[in-house]
Amino acid sequence: MAELTQNEKRLLAILEKENKADAPHLAGLLDATSEAVVQWAHLAGDKGLAMVERVVAKEFVYTDEGKAYAQNGLPETQLLRFILPETTLADLQKHEAFRIGFGQLRKKGLVKVEGTSVTKIPGSTTDADEAALKKPSDADPRTKDLIKRGILQESETVRYAINITPAGLALVKQGLDLRGESGTLTRDQIISGEWKDLNLRKYDVSKLPKKAYPGKIHPYQRIIGEMREILLEMGFTELYGGIVQQSYWNFDALFQPQDHPAREMQDTFYLNETLPLPKGYEKVKAMHECGGETSSTGWGGVWKEEKAEQCVLRTHTTSVSIQYLANNPNPPIKAFCVGRVYRRETIDTTHLAEFEQLEGIVMDENVSFGNLLGILREFYNRMGFESVRFKPSFYPYTEPSLDAEVYVDGIGWIEMGGAGVFREEVTAPIGITYPVLAWGLGVSRIAMLRLGLKDLRLLHKSDVAFLRETPSLRHTKGGI
Amino acid sequence: MAVITLPYKYLERLTRTDRKTILDNVALIGSDVERIEEDHADVEFFPDRPDLFSPEGVARAMRGYLGIETGLSSYPVKPSGIKFTVDPALATIRPVLGAAVIRGVSFDDESIQSIMSLQESLHWAVGRGRSKVAIGIHDMDTVRPPFHYIASRPSRGFIPLDFTEKMTMTEILEKHPKGRDYAKIVKDFPLYPLIVDDDDHVLSFPPIINGERTRVTIDTKNILLDTTGTDKRAVSVAVNIICTAMAEAGAKIESVEIGGIQTPTLAPAERIVSVQECSRLLGIELTAASMAELLRKMRFGAEPAGADTVKVQVPCYRADIMHDWDLFEDVAIAYGYDRLESQPPKTFTVGKPHPVQVNAALAREAFCGLGYLEVMPFTLTNEDVLYGKMRRDEKKGVLHVMHPISIENTVVRTELLPLLLEFLTLNRHRELPQRLFTVGDVVDSCLTYQQAAGVSTHLDADFSEAYASAAAMLHELSIDYTVEESSDPAFIDGRRGDIIVDGKKIGVFGEIHPAVLNAFDLEHSVAAFEFDIRAVPGYPVL
Repeated sequence: MAELTQNEKRLLAILEKENKADAPHLAGLLDATSEAVVQWAHLAGDKGLAMVERVVAKEFVYTDEGKAYAQNGLPETQLLRFILPETTLADLQKHEAFRIGFGQLRKKGLVKVEGTSVTKIPGSTTDADEAALKKPSDADPRTKDLIKRGILQESETVRYAINITPAGLALVKQGLDLRGESGTLTRDQIISGEWKDLNLRKYDVSKLPKKAYPGKIHPYQRIIGEMREILLEMGFTELYGGIVQQSYWNFDALFQPQDHPAREMQDTFYLNETLPLPKGYEKVKAMHECGGETSSTGWGGVWKEEKAEQCVLRTHTTSVSIQYLANNPNPPIKAFCVGRVYRRETIDTTHLAEFEQLEGIVMDENVSFGNLLGILREFYNRMGFESVRFKPSFYPYTEPSLDAEVYVDGIGWIEMGGAGVFREEVTAPIGITYPVLAWGLGVSRIAMLRLGLKDLRLLHKSDVAFLRETPSLRHTKGGI
Repeated sequence: MAVITLPYKYLERLTRTDRKTILDNVALIGSDVERIEEDHADVEFFPDRPDLFSPEGVARAMRGYLGIETGLSSYPVKPSGIKFTVDPALATIRPVLGAAVIRGVSFDDESIQSIMSLQESLHWAVGRGRSKVAIGIHDMDTVRPPFHYIASRPSRGFIPLDFTEKMTMTEILEKHPKGRDYAKIVKDFPLYPLIVDDDDHVLSFPPIINGERTRVTIDTKNILLDTTGTDKRAVSVAVNIICTAMAEAGAKIESVEIGGIQTPTLAPAERIVSVQECSRLLGIELTAASMAELLRKMRFGAEPAGADTVKVQVPCYRADIMHDWDLFEDVAIAYGYDRLESQPPKTFTVGKPHPVQVNAALAREAFCGLGYLEVMPFTLTNEDVLYGKMRRDEKKGVLHVMHPISIENTVVRTELLPLLLEFLTLNRHRELPQRLFTVGDVVDSCLTYQQAAGVSTHLDADFSEAYASAAAMLHELSIDYTVEESSDPAFIDGRRGDIIVDGKKIGVFGEIHPAVLNAFDLEHSVAAFEFDIRAVPGYPVL
């Protein structure tokens, strides 16, 4: 049973003594309005502690005119009292009640008019009418007449009779806490100890509160954060690098031929900037032209410095990892980088010109392609994807190459990212002699699946309502 | 990517097995099955394997992978006795020529379509849109050898393919659809490449269009293949791929004499590879014999040559084999990726977050504590948002992308605040108060670094709130700063402050100027601030 309010308790306590009473009476005792008492009684009634009976009573009340007549008599009564044997019609016309009263006298046949004289019919009286005025009754036709004349009005009054139920009685017998209620707990009450005697108002928990919106991390940033955590746990060092890169580091150092379609203006954002080539670039040049000192044939043709100097918005974070490797050629290296990358694509619901890429590299004395599969399996398992499979693929700077796919219930196998071992054409010019395992994945793809987005742009042009409604902790099942 | 149509009946006949077996395994050699139709499948192959861009090439690979026929496919080549002369004037225009005679073809509409689509895929993957390689296929019985590859005046005319009227080469570049598509490759040369027969009939105007005279039809029995370009290796790969595909279909290949040399030879190249190197790279135990067997499955000629070496014959159509590791990938594919033992490496390492991200995370935490909601705007924006609407001068170090996709995305952001105001515009209809923040990369010249910015809008957002929030953020990040009156026109005069660290301005805060609010279509006041996170003590040098 829901808690009783203080007022319900007071009402029940009174009812215990009164048993059954009208609301106005109870209102007087409780120092409240009748309406409030009825409302409390209804609340107690909902709990089966009281009963409210609605009694409709018909009543006759005087109109303003009627009130005066009740005091001074009806106009015809007044005139009748006024008529003396000598009274003329002219005298009578001066009486204030004449206009209404004279007609009534004539209608009821109580006077006789002859010429200018007015005389009472013997025995004439208005007593019965006066009685009807004083004590109106439904049964009396004269009462109806008075209503018609606008002297009396019929009115319905609703009265509430309230009584206590046996259950209510039993509850009161158990004893009620009738102390006054407090809303706010004040400093004074807390430090003085007054709180011990306070009856703090109880609130209805079935009512919803006003919405509060916490400041929080973007759900997409949370997914990025989760991936970072996993890689840090797996012993990887995090990298950070510029979004503006020389073509040299973005393409040439990765053995991407200078006439490769991905390097064309329609696929890559070029900038009107150049940077001088780093020391040792001649080795990259030789690798492109003839395979350097490796078993490679190279791409042939002439490698042009000015193409390599041109700056671009990085098309992958591999441009960052390769520089890290060039600066840290000693094993073991385990590193990763999450960052914005750029492709010159027309923007629509599933393609953005900029998106987050996560990329990792592992360089060590005896690492193998099989180890790469092991790292990927571990990473995707930790992301919640239980089934992972690999298939052959092609990337210009890795050999062997693979694509990783994960199984998602209700969708099937989804391609998650590519991986491979850096070609010797990539590692040899920067002095790396051990295999480098590399892998990348599109972070937004997982975000889209997890957040149930139909439009990738919403990650970056978000509706505040979507951000507010998306909980920080989302329960994921099978990675999604 | 090249999507190849594989008609089942033809593929089954060439592969000598059923379609289900083929479709179940085709992805395992490196492809994506795009569509499975009633009579054919569309399969996408990677650009490094142009030899798989025809049903004949796919059948050859699948026979090996499925163990139906392994090892090297050899293609005998007989000299045709036909000569091709090359005009020395082409040396600076389009110097390389490859050619072959293909005899005994039997075409129907479908197989003509198939060879045309192989030609187009090669133009794309090997030819770089015909600039590096262009291929012409002719009915040889309509012309008379020897053939001549010449540099010709653009005013010379002939009837191009699909036309009935004679056109000059200049007109072709202007009017013929193919001419318009590829004009840029030749139009700046004084002379254009042209292939004619001994009677001066035009076979082809490479890399643009063939002549109508040598059109290939279902009655064509013998083909002359011409391949022109700028790169010797690419031209020869294209010739080899077409010739071997046609040979797989049953044709006989004959060589042509160019500059005293018989071409093509369709002979394999040789590589001696180390078994140990391959085992270590893949992480599997191999012997010379087992490795050779796996390579034969991938259609290489391969024999053990000692305990640690395998002698490999690389077929002439495998353009992708540049390095020993390219062979090792084929070993892995033949072995099966799913059979490879997948164990993470055993070396012990310790994870380490980057200090830039550590500081970004701290800033995010403090923003959240202040009740700000994170947003992640795009980094590409435009001058109007960054400077115009903000009433600011364009920053010197702003980078303009050279070929923007739209007027909305022309520059890389140099500040974050304008993007947050754009966000408020986007969310005008949402409940107030709105407090938004972002932490992320900005670019100045070629340097990338991180800034942090916050905006707050509601009925009472004002200078005091901006100052208090900025001060709280700076305090949380231990930035030791002073404040000076600012002159930033994005803010109201007298309600703005510059954040100074070591005498340098690193940020700004205040109440956004009503003209800026108007420009962003905002109706309520905005308290805002932005600062450079590099001011954090001990921040790494980027």
